[in-house]
Amino acid sequence: MSADNDQQAREQLIDLAAQFYDQFELGEIPHMSVPTRTKNNIEYDEEKAVWVYGDRESTRSANSVRGARKLLKAVYTIEFLADQLEADRSSTLRELYYLSESWDNEEAQFSDQDESNGLIEDLEIVSGVTREDFHMRPEESGATLMGPLHLREQTRRGEREIHCQKDVGEGGYQIPNNPDTIDFLDCDADFILAVETGGMRDRLVENGFDDEYNALIVHLKGQPARATRRITKRLHDELDLPVTVFTDGDPWSYRIYGSVAYGSIKSAHLSEYLATPEAQFIGIQPADIVEYDLPTDPLSDSDINALESELEDPRFQTDYWEEQIELQLDLGKKSEQQALASHGLDFVTETYLPERLTEMGVF
Amino acid sequence: MTSFQSTLGDEPGIAEELAESQQSISIAEFFEKNKHMLGFDSGARGLVTAVKEAVDNALDAAEEAGILPDIYVEIQEAGDYYRLIVEDNGPGLTKDSLPKVFGKLLYGSRFHAREQSRGQQGIGISAAVLYSQLTSGKPAKITSRTQGSSEAQYFELIVDTDNNEPEISVEETTTWDRPHGTRIELEMEANMRARGQLHDYIKHTAVVNPHARLELREPQEHFKFERATDQLPAETEEIRPHPHGVELGTVMKMLAATDSQTVSGFVQEEFTRVGKKTADSIIDAFRDRYYGREMCWRTPRGLDDIDIKGVASNATANKSVAATGAFSDKIASKVADKDRIAHHQLLDIVNESAQECEQEHDETFGDTVQENVAEAIWLEVIDASGADDANAATGEDGDSRLVADLYDLADDATSTRKDDETIHAFADRLAGKFEDLEDDRHRLTRATLREFVDRAADLTEEYDEVSFGETARENVVEAVWDVMATVPDDPPLVRELNGDRDATSDLVDAMRATDIMAPPTRCLSPISEDLITAGLEKEFDADFYASATRDAGVSGGDPFIVEAGIAYGGELPAEGTAEVMRFANRVPLVYQRGACATTDVVKTIGWRNYGLDQPGGSGLPNGPVVIMIHVASTNVPFTSESKDAIANVPEIEDEIELAIREAARELKSYLNKRRSMQKRRKKQNVLGKILPEMATKVAEVTGRDEPDIDDAIARIMNNVLVERQTKANGDGQAVSVVVENNSSTNESLEITDIVSAEPTNLSDGATVVEMDGEWFVKWEPEVGSDDEATLEYEVPDDATFDLDVKGVESEKLTVKQ
Repeated sequence: MSADNDQQAREQLIDLAAQFYDQFELGEIPHMSVPTRTKNNIEYDEEKAVWVYGDRESTRSANSVRGARKLLKAVYTIEFLADQLEADRSSTLRELYYLSESWDNEEAQFSDQDESNGLIEDLEIVSGVTREDFHMRPEESGATLMGPLHLREQTRRGEREIHCQKDVGEGGYQIPNNPDTIDFLDCDADFILAVETGGMRDRLVENGFDDEYNALIVHLKGQPARATRRITKRLHDELDLPVTVFTDGDPWSYRIYGSVAYGSIKSAHLSEYLATPEAQFIGIQPADIVEYDLPTDPLSDSDINALESELEDPRFQTDYWEEQIELQLDLGKKSEQQALASHGLDFVTETYLPERLTEMGVF
Repeated sequence: MTSFQSTLGDEPGIAEELAESQQSISIAEFFEKNKHMLGFDSGARGLVTAVKEAVDNALDAAEEAGILPDIYVEIQEAGDYYRLIVEDNGPGLTKDSLPKVFGKLLYGSRFHAREQSRGQQGIGISAAVLYSQLTSGKPAKITSRTQGSSEAQYFELIVDTDNNEPEISVEETTTWDRPHGTRIELEMEANMRARGQLHDYIKHTAVVNPHARLELREPQEHFKFERATDQLPAETEEIRPHPHGVELGTVMKMLAATDSQTVSGFVQEEFTRVGKKTADSIIDAFRDRYYGREMCWRTPRGLDDIDIKGVASNATANKSVAATGAFSDKIASKVADKDRIAHHQLLDIVNESAQECEQEHDETFGDTVQENVAEAIWLEVIDASGADDANAATGEDGDSRLVADLYDLADDATSTRKDDETIHAFADRLAGKFEDLEDDRHRLTRATLREFVDRAADLTEEYDEVSFGETARENVVEAVWDVMATVPDDPPLVRELNGDRDATSDLVDAMRATDIMAPPTRCLSPISEDLITAGLEKEFDADFYASATRDAGVSGGDPFIVEAGIAYGGELPAEGTAEVMRFANRVPLVYQRGACATTDVVKTIGWRNYGLDQPGGSGLPNGPVVIMIHVASTNVPFTSESKDAIANVPEIEDEIELAIREAARELKSYLNKRRSMQKRRKKQNVLGKILPEMATKVAEVTGRDEPDIDDAIARIMNNVLVERQTKANGDGQAVSVVVENNSSTNESLEITDIVSAEPTNLSDGATVVEMDGEWFVKWEPEVGSDDEATLEYEVPDDATFDLDVKGVESEKLTVKQ
């Protein structure tokens, strides 16, 4: 990332502080409006084909003691972020939370990490600068990537050129926090296969699926981090690779697909930057449970609630998903990716994936 | 057989012996032995009561004469005794009346007056004189000077208890520095243990008499209570008694004394709220009781084989056929017009018809003819004519008309469960009672009717073995009484009534039974809400005052008004229970708090609803509160002669409760407001810390100077912001004072800007007053919610300012200058 970029992010933060300053000067009550971040306030952006926030806004205003505290914390955080950018340092969300303890003003300290996380999201939205550009990282390091891709990464210790099959071990290439520091050099892959669980990712690597089918296997590690979604988006946009998502067959996994394809509710302001609307869902589909006669677990109450809530989720209101979710509610069952092993260890690479991918038109 | 009576008779002399030792006692002697009844039960209490009686008299006297009372009370130690001196600036007393006022019990102007006053019986001050002479043996020393006279009268006197007359030992003229007034000096055995009550009495008197100046000097302390108002209480007007509030004895006395000839005149003249119409209602009710009503029997119908016309013409003798026919026709048709008819109504009809025929046929139908005709018809109506006797004897089932009539009435009036047989048997017996009446006009009072019904019912119960209960009997009486008619007889004249106890009792009953408008209230003098507040403000340094004056009510014929006041906070002691001040006719009640209706009411109110602490949810509330209750009436119902506590009369208790609640509602909204102000202050404190810090930080981050945040804070707090801006303008400066109302309500402000130089070009609505080289710019804008108002003026360059804003709570106000 360039110093220019940092400078711009810093200016945008300071503009925000200046906005409060002007509000004071005009005798207005200092305030800041942000879109309401709930399922009810996201809408489909036809042009960009992603889900973004709607018109509903919540106002953080100094009108109340609570609101005033929030704004005070925001100003302190702006100062911290601006300083961090100037010093070209970075920190994690958790560090920010602990760091607030060192601030001279007790009123400005965070009471829990949800509060500081929420505030960073607010600032991202209001300033239009991403968290990564603030040099804020999540705790967990990014996920991994394995496949025929040659790239150059800008690290703090200089540039590194890496081939994601030949230069890495079985663990694969570690996706950095800010994938925008990567340049793609060369790519032999035909498509991207994003996998939810570590076990399945290892199975595919062990079976040499990436080699055999020229697949770029991206490990999602549950709900994918922003970096994972960003690199997937860049690979799709810049290298024109089709994206497929392979998860468990339960409501939580559908949401993983949802956040890759449509963007998540929490980061709908970044949908354009993170979501890959063309991503396709492989499975496990509820229909697969029947077709492949997979071993199942019964749906729990919370599973059923989650499925029903997905039926109301605007992101899942398509014929395909409505049909699948209704079917699953009828079956009352769910299946994991690993359940495919009931037909043998190679069943997934030799039968299931090729069949599904052909069906989807990726091959 | 030996009886006690006969034994007594055997020894003449014992009765005489006993009689010898029996003698009448004077009222003065009686109270000499029963001092406690008048509040002189102990030395401590005696002193307080004496002060109270003297001060009450003084206040009454001054007010009556339209003088603002100025009363001086002094208590001195005089050897073993205490000397009490009370001086007033009243109109003074004449030489003749003075000894009686102070030296004769039950002498006064108030006892017979229906008008609000402190004293009522004419006992108080003479009782104090009596107490003083009993305990110290010294006479009362009284000086009085009437307005305009050059000298004052001086008396030393005691009460001669044997005959309740004043006994004057010294009588002389003297000089006195007061232009008019009365001074009494009493020496008595006493002590100052009740000092607290004494102080309370004087202080409380000052509260409810804000127009009076009071001074109390006692051996240890000296108080002065100045006037809070120069406005005398409205003069009260004496009213005549209300018909609902008089006793039999009173009415008998009034009948003896009245100039009126007729009862109608008497009730209109002597009572309040009785006009012609009400008098008529009273007299109707009186007739019912005195003469009774006459039974109205059903008039003959088609089914009956009574031929009124035939009967009438048979009874008419010696008249032409045409006239007789016309006469009887008229009677028959008039009778047929009525459903029921009473004897006197029949007489009227006959008389009317006779007069009509006289005109038409020129034949006289004299009294005898009329009487005969009426008699004949009436006998038919009550089924008592000789012709029917034969019928009755022969026909077993031929019931008399009366039975059938009474049967229908009783059947409607009693429950459906009674079978026809029973009702029929009862109606038969009741009809028998009517037939047995000597007076065949069937005239009887309700009491007699009740006797008849009881008798018939008793017999029915006895012979037919059915029950005929109280309710059924009462219902039958009611039904029969309803169809009976009030008689037209003139009520007795007043002179006939005079001395006739039973008839007078009928009259009193009649007055009570008649609906009469409540008595007028001009005889009352409430303190008024404003003056209650003024009185409380004068004696209690509190944060909040509320008061309420209710509309007048009536209890036992006497009108009354209840008022309440509440003081809260400030210097009132926050610990312990509320102080309850009780007043009756502007006199503080100091003793027997627990026995008083006012205290009972205060205890039953749920004070928590009004924002006060009340342990257990009942009883006296806790906290810095004074609750004041004033009951004004022409006759305050006290629990005893010593007038310490108001009796539990429901009508008065209800009004006391409503008055207190009315004032308490204001207290509640005050407390709520205070709480919200506290909350606002807390918020302001927190924001007052956070926002400047935020401003500092924002300035740091943006690298600018610290922003001005007063406006923002005023807005956040929904405050009223008053800001002065100045601008150089040639030689001088242009000043503008801007009021910005950020609150949700309209605000009225009083703004005073004190300027050291003369302001010019003042904008509209403001005024300038110069005082000692300073100019006071006064401006009282009314600024709506979210609105602004501006005051502008110009002053020389070197002027200094001082801005003072009133009319807005300090919590809601931000002033910038």
